[in-house]
Amino acid sequence: MGSDVEYSLDALAEQLLAAHSANDAQRLVALYTNAADLREQAGDINAACFYLTHAFVFALEINAAERRDLQIRLWRHGREVKPEALD
Amino acid sequence: MVGFGPHLTSETSGLKMGVDMGAQTDIETVMTSVNVAKGLPNAHYVSDTVFEEEKQAVLFKNWSGIGFASDVPEAADAMPVNFLGVPLLIVRDRDGSVNVFQNVCRHRGMTLVSEAQKIRGTIRCPYHSWCYALNGELKSTPHVGGPGFNTHDDIDRDELGLFRVRSYVWHDVVFVNISGDAPEFEDVHQDLMSRWADFEKPMYYNAVDSGITLDLACNWKLAVENYCESYHLPWVHPGLNSYSRLEDHYNVVELGRYSGQGSHVYTQLKRDDGSTLPDFPNLPDKWAETGEWITVYPNVLLGVQRDHTFALVLEPVTKEQTIEHIKLFYASQDAVGDVYADMRARNAALWGDVFKEDIFVVEGMQKGRHAPMFDGGKFSPVMDGPTHCFHHWVASQVSVNRTAT
Repeated sequence: MGSDVEYSLDALAEQLLAAHSANDAQRLVALYTNAADLREQAGDINAACFYLTHAFVFALEINAAERRDLQIRLWRHGREVKPEALD
Repeated sequence: MVGFGPHLTSETSGLKMGVDMGAQTDIETVMTSVNVAKGLPNAHYVSDTVFEEEKQAVLFKNWSGIGFASDVPEAADAMPVNFLGVPLLIVRDRDGSVNVFQNVCRHRGMTLVSEAQKIRGTIRCPYHSWCYALNGELKSTPHVGGPGFNTHDDIDRDELGLFRVRSYVWHDVVFVNISGDAPEFEDVHQDLMSRWADFEKPMYYNAVDSGITLDLACNWKLAVENYCESYHLPWVHPGLNSYSRLEDHYNVVELGRYSGQGSHVYTQLKRDDGSTLPDFPNLPDKWAETGEWITVYPNVLLGVQRDHTFALVLEPVTKEQTIEHIKLFYASQDAVGDVYADMRARNAALWGDVFKEDIFVVEGMQKGRHAPMFDGGKFSPVMDGPTHCFHHWVASQVSVNRTAT
């Protein structure tokens, strides 16, 4: 699964700070998912799961549609409990 | 005792020389018949020690009002409440139920919600982002097993939901039992709930024009005491003499349970054309001209009339400051719509004037509690029964707590 925005990690850092300042949780979901995608493509699963975790938390906070897919990704990496719908 | 001279005796003030002896106030003289009883000693209004004692014995051990269900009118609305220093959170779940939690994260005790808001998804702790569902379940523990690892064998989410506080909603008031060990609300108040069973109906609130907040420089109990009795009406509320005379009133005294007053002559507001606010449906005839105003011990004042009810939640801020949260409720959706806006405005103004007329009295009595020779006062055996009933109940709660501890 990928996000609908794509930035380099350097560009993302600036975007993330702006989204945090604006308290824009939906934007944070997208940006952290983007960062996770980049790190996963680079084979750095730990870093990817770090970013996925943040994306998941902000998705939970605003009940974003992405929350379920994010939880599944984390669960498949052994980083989150199994989504209830998959029990 | 801070602020009191050494010439005082415990007999006259409930305090002993030079030391705040509030926890040892003489309350035996309160717990006797109204004919010979004294009121609660001064210390119950001016002592930090007694305020703390009553906080535990009276307000935390019983069912206290902390707010209104209509403060969280829609699903996922949340409102933080500081009740005597205890951070609470009133939440309306998506199923419509109203729940109360301690407003603290189970991780580091950080307060979770700082202002009233709509929770879009979960309640996220602003510290380490542990997330809770509206029903209190812990849903996320980010990085709890290290960066990117969100689970750990020793973190059992099922055991780490928000601390739920026992709560009950009646007449829109959210009651809580902080100590967690009071009998069920419906058992404690079954007599009063039966008495007013006719009003167990949907109540409607207009948030724009039917709420009043008053800041009182007095101990919360004085607001109760003044509300309970009709004795003061012709003097403090002379405007009532024309339509709610003293002789039309009766005392409501149920020792150990509740007290207040009623009137057999409740006069509805009328427009020039004779129209009135809509009545609650299917009320028995006895409510045609009767209104009752009763205290749900300890700190909730309720009133019922055929066409509206109201509730006052007394928020004890300090021993000498109380905030009165007042809401008026009506009998139908129509009654809170535009068609009756003029009537609601008149009704709110009427009650607002009455409640404001009481301010100088409760604040004056608070100042009077600093008079060292005041001994709790002498009750009228005929007129002060409801006030004495409340004093008796408070003293009983304190006495039980002292025995237990």
